Amino acid sequence: MTQTLTEDDIYRTSTQFRLWSFSPESLAALRKQTHDLAITRARQYAVDADIRDGKKDVDCLRRDEELRLVQRYCEQIRTTSDHFKWPVHVKATAVQYLRRFYLSNSVHTYPPKEIYKTVLFLACKTEATHMTLSEYARRISTDPDVILAPEYKIMQALRFTLDVRQPYRGLKGVLMEMLNMANGMVGEVEGVDTKGARELQQDMLTLEHPGTQATTPWKAPGSRKIDGKTLVERINAAYSAARTLLDGPALLTDVHFLYTPSQILLAALHLADEPLASLYLMTKLPLKSDARPKILATIAACADIIGNFSTKQILSKAERADLETRLERCRDPSTKDLVKTHAAAKRGSESDEEVKVQKRKAAREKHQKEGDDLFGPNLGGGRG
Amino acid sequence: MATSPALDVPAEPPLKRRKVSPEPPDITTQVADLAEQLDAQERKKYVKGAKLGSGQYADVFSAHLVSDPTKLVAIKKIKVGPEVKEFGISYDSLREIKFLQELDHPNIIKLHAVFSTKNQNLNLVLEHLPQGDLLKLIQDVGGVQYTSADIKSWMLMLLRATHFCHKNNILHRDIKPNNLLIAADGSIKLADFGLARSMADPFQPMTYNTITIWYRPPELFFQAQHYGGQVDVWSCGCVFAELVAREVMFRAWPETEINMVKMICEKVGTPTEENWPGVSKLRGYVTPTEFVPLRPRDQWLASFRTIGEQGVDLLVKMLTLDPRQRLSAEGVLRHEFWTSEPRPSRLKDLPRRGGGVETMGEDLTQRGAELPRQNGRADKVARKIDFGAMK
Repeated sequence: MTQTLTEDDIYRTSTQFRLWSFSPESLAALRKQTHDLAITRARQYAVDADIRDGKKDVDCLRRDEELRLVQRYCEQIRTTSDHFKWPVHVKATAVQYLRRFYLSNSVHTYPPKEIYKTVLFLACKTEATHMTLSEYARRISTDPDVILAPEYKIMQALRFTLDVRQPYRGLKGVLMEMLNMANGMVGEVEGVDTKGARELQQDMLTLEHPGTQATTPWKAPGSRKIDGKTLVERINAAYSAARTLLDGPALLTDVHFLYTPSQILLAALHLADEPLASLYLMTKLPLKSDARPKILATIAACADIIGNFSTKQILSKAERADLETRLERCRDPSTKDLVKTHAAAKRGSESDEEVKVQKRKAAREKHQKEGDDLFGPNLGGGRG
Repeated sequence: MATSPALDVPAEPPLKRRKVSPEPPDITTQVADLAEQLDAQERKKYVKGAKLGSGQYADVFSAHLVSDPTKLVAIKKIKVGPEVKEFGISYDSLREIKFLQELDHPNIIKLHAVFSTKNQNLNLVLEHLPQGDLLKLIQDVGGVQYTSADIKSWMLMLLRATHFCHKNNILHRDIKPNNLLIAADGSIKLADFGLARSMADPFQPMTYNTITIWYRPPELFFQAQHYGGQVDVWSCGCVFAELVAREVMFRAWPETEINMVKMICEKVGTPTEENWPGVSKLRGYVTPTEFVPLRPRDQWLASFRTIGEQGVDLLVKMLTLDPRQRLSAEGVLRHEFWTSEPRPSRLKDLPRRGGGVETMGEDLTQRGAELPRQNGRADKVARKIDFGAMK
């Protein structure tokens, strides 16, 4: 009956794997479906009768425009979270919540401007960072009701799954392991021939320098031989370069939908300092392993996406304003006043039949308790 | 064959049914978005039945699948409390949903689904655990007898659940007998993840004000902000001792922190730099006025003889003051106790009269770190005197 779960097995039980991992095709298909649904709705709520009758096209945002608008608000979440000096987990979770939200919702129904603040507040709560609503609302100069109104809608779109697996702790682990290798403290890795700790350390010292494309700021010291100290500098520089990639490009592209956290961190390390990343992988993945080509190809594909990202892709202020003006003309009117809808839904629960029953029951209990107090509780009752 | 639920619904008076004015067309119902559709799909899978319990924080209903009335579930409907103004959806509910969604283990309560109703209430569809909880079993001294093999079986299930949480980087932080529910087959399931959290990164502080006070380890009383799975192991140790002695191991009265520390000193020993290097540097550490040496092994044996020497050895290692020396959940599972005689009881032989389905209703409506609701007379009297003193 005993069963041993590997880390991979455990990852496969996560909601991130089960519900939020896609192939590029299935991701695109899902977004298309959501977009098409929004267009259908836009036809229905259009003021122009010609549009409703299908004689005229609706002027909605295109799919790529929707995507870029969402991306712009991912960036907004990053800067807001950094402004609060919140841990990176809050930021990464919030960004991923926003991206997940827009897999099943269109910006036409819920413009990201009205969603991103709530998403960040929700992430702050699920990542165990404490800030009261009133303080949060005050610091971002927003009405607290506006922040709370879409919370349930977001929970629903997240399909009530709140855990976001992240690459940061893993990357830190890689850093510590590489530093140990540089100090000659890592000998064999189970199942992999590394020729021992000394050899591994030697391999690291004589490692090829990072290429010109590498994002690490570290430069090989001209004529001098690389010694232990410069090697440690190289490793630290690679770490922080990879970390910068995880903080920015990785959050602003689709990689979290397409790859696992460990694939993403290895891709970032690969972009930071390729020879170092390859050596590290060597200690994990034997040359003769059947899975090796597949794993390397996956990491390379992920690195491509992260590497091809440029900040120029983020909408400028003017472009954003432009899109939002257009959006205002074709947005869903039924979701325009979320605060009101939210309040109405809450009121609805109060007029519930159930509440009436409860009130009657409470009155009965109170009555009973008064009798109880007068004569004391039942003697045969429980134990202390 | 069950009768159609529609038959139970009395016909509405015609006046009420007639619409006075035509309702405005509702756009959202014309084409619901994908999330809405999925949510509705989930909601429609269940038929809600009797209310099993009602608390400040939640109501619990019995329910069954529409497709198969023999498949029972429990639906925990989270109430919107007064804190909603300050926090929105409460931390407790978010934590419970976040962690239970990730955990799939035979000894952890299964969260089948979550759905919302149009009044924006969160409904958690949980595993139906009709046999009550361990607390009721422990307390029913006259009615339920159990053996050390039964205790071993329960503890093994508890530790497997705890280890699984830790392997998933999750601290439960509220292990106690009334959070251990009993399934129809006799197995126990760890429930209530309202206080759980992911293990923090190194140097990131965590709260020390967590875990129900009787089951809280000494480091938290000393306000340690960096800790790991060992806090849960202490709680498991308390449950272990409670199962054997059939009374709470550290039951300070009144239940203040200072009384708890005193009690731990009396029953285990006073924490010192010798038995716990670094303890005096913890923020909440109070230099003891009297010193109790570590309780000698033969005294432990005298009180807990029924679980044998191996059992006592394990208990002492779970209730070790210094969290660094205390066993981890994995360490506990590797202990010889489990492989020594007697074998843990089989599920079918375990007693399961832990109070029935209402107990589940009661437990699931409770909020984290609350002491179990008590209906004993002594307790009621004590509280009444308390109120008198306050005036």
